[in-house]
Amino acid sequence: MEEILARQLTDGQNIQRFRKLLTPQKKATAVTIAIQLGMVVAFLLVWQFAVDQKWVSAFLVGSPAGIFSKLLVAVNNGSLWVDTKITVGEAIAGFLIGSLAGSFLGLSLWYSAFFARVVEPFIVAINSVPKIAFAPIVILWFGTGMVSKIMLATSMTFIIALIAAYEAAKNADKDLLSLMLALGSTKHQLFFKVVVPYSLPAIIATFRINIGFGLVGAVVGEFISSSHGLGHMIFSASSYYDLDTVWIGLFTLMLVGFMLYYVVDRVEQYLLPWKQADSGQHLRV
Amino acid sequence: MNAAIPKLSLRNVTKTFPVKGGSVNVLNKLSFDVYDQDFVSIIGPSGCGKSTVFNIIAGLMHPDEGEIRMDGEVVNGLRGKVGYMLQKDMLFPWRTVLENVVLGLEVRGTPLKETKEIAMEYIYTYGLAGFEHAYPKALSGGMKQRVALIRTLIYDPQVILLDEPFSALDYQTRLYLEGVLVEAVETFKKTVILVTHDIDEAVALSKRVVVLSSRPGCVKAVHEISLSQRSPIESRSDPHFSEYFHTLCAELDIQTKAGS
Repeated sequence: MEEILARQLTDGQNIQRFRKLLTPQKKATAVTIAIQLGMVVAFLLVWQFAVDQKWVSAFLVGSPAGIFSKLLVAVNNGSLWVDTKITVGEAIAGFLIGSLAGSFLGLSLWYSAFFARVVEPFIVAINSVPKIAFAPIVILWFGTGMVSKIMLATSMTFIIALIAAYEAAKNADKDLLSLMLALGSTKHQLFFKVVVPYSLPAIIATFRINIGFGLVGAVVGEFISSSHGLGHMIFSASSYYDLDTVWIGLFTLMLVGFMLYYVVDRVEQYLLPWKQADSGQHLRV
Repeated sequence: MNAAIPKLSLRNVTKTFPVKGGSVNVLNKLSFDVYDQDFVSIIGPSGCGKSTVFNIIAGLMHPDEGEIRMDGEVVNGLRGKVGYMLQKDMLFPWRTVLENVVLGLEVRGTPLKETKEIAMEYIYTYGLAGFEHAYPKALSGGMKQRVALIRTLIYDPQVILLDEPFSALDYQTRLYLEGVLVEAVETFKKTVILVTHDIDEAVALSKRVVVLSSRPGCVKAVHEISLSQRSPIESRSDPHFSEYFHTLCAELDIQTKAGS
């Protein structure tokens, strides 16, 4: 009896403690998430209802119920997992190669204003071509496997990263550079102590955009020729008018892009702690 | 005083900038001396090339003609030997207070291990203890300028160049930082050149004031300031303060009339 009483007491304390944990901020976050989930559920319900009422054709738009049953199959036989892994792998590999190499080259253009002037029109010219137009050549050169999709994702991200990094490096704070020079700094020190840290926020902002372009490169490459991947899944399903499977592919891509975006977010928080620091004073509007 | 070799002397420094369809002569045969542990203010009408003088001394620009001598020897600007403070704090936003303070020493190649202790000492002395790991974003304007001042002092430069360092601050903070500056300059026996548009500040802080003419800038007059009190607040109540103030005002006024 006493034991039970004691347990109830601690339970009571735990509830108290739990209530205390719900700070106003956490409450606000919980409410936000609840509303967002509610919107998704409501959307799916309306969609299903509209299909059931024959307001829209399930053949042309698919239906949540159909998507769900197809999803179960794709998850159970593992094909969704395999396709996702391939596409995400291609996108990430291309994104990393393109963004890192592009940023690196863009930054290093800062070293020689002359060289930068020489190559600038070429960079602009290459950038003005829709990168996706390279797809047929890339596939001719690198085959129909993963490598060609990685190269395509690389070409999608490389020039963007290069231009962003070069622009940022070029605009590095003149006053900070002057200060460093007055202190007797070498060009090397200018680069690593001013230009690189100054450009990093812009470079990482480009990473955010490039994550999406990496996926574009991978998916379009798969559209053109492939035997696996989410792009292949979407493309082949749409040619059979299997809209439910198309939606599965699209939603999976959405989810993947969403998660990768947050990964970049975390990387940013890690690399730019000084961007996060604020005085904690928020204005009431 | 004049018998000694000047710490720094500018001789016939001339600088012309190219502009669209011609050129602007900013400095014309500018000459003045700065002695060891001197505190020289440069005042003049706006656009008289004060900041250009500053950049030439710092070695960021080369004069078209004329020379700069340091301890009697001709030098190519004072790169690596000057501390440098502007109206903007110029703190590196990605560096903490501590990392900002040691910047100059780091550029010189001193490892952080050796500089950290002395940096912490300065940070403590100037009332920034507890903020050593804060980023500049979290500091007030006065605190940022104090960090910039520590960065300048700790570097132990031959000459400290100040270009309107306090003009963006409120009056109270400015008075306080002027006091800190004068005290630090006395303690560390520094030589200072202060560019300012604030006559009041020039009189209160300096031992000598160099008045530049309007463009093209050349030295119009040099005034020795001798006030009994050195602290910026007390010097302002010195009976001679307003005398100096009015003399300098008059000199600048005449120029503006002549220039227009």
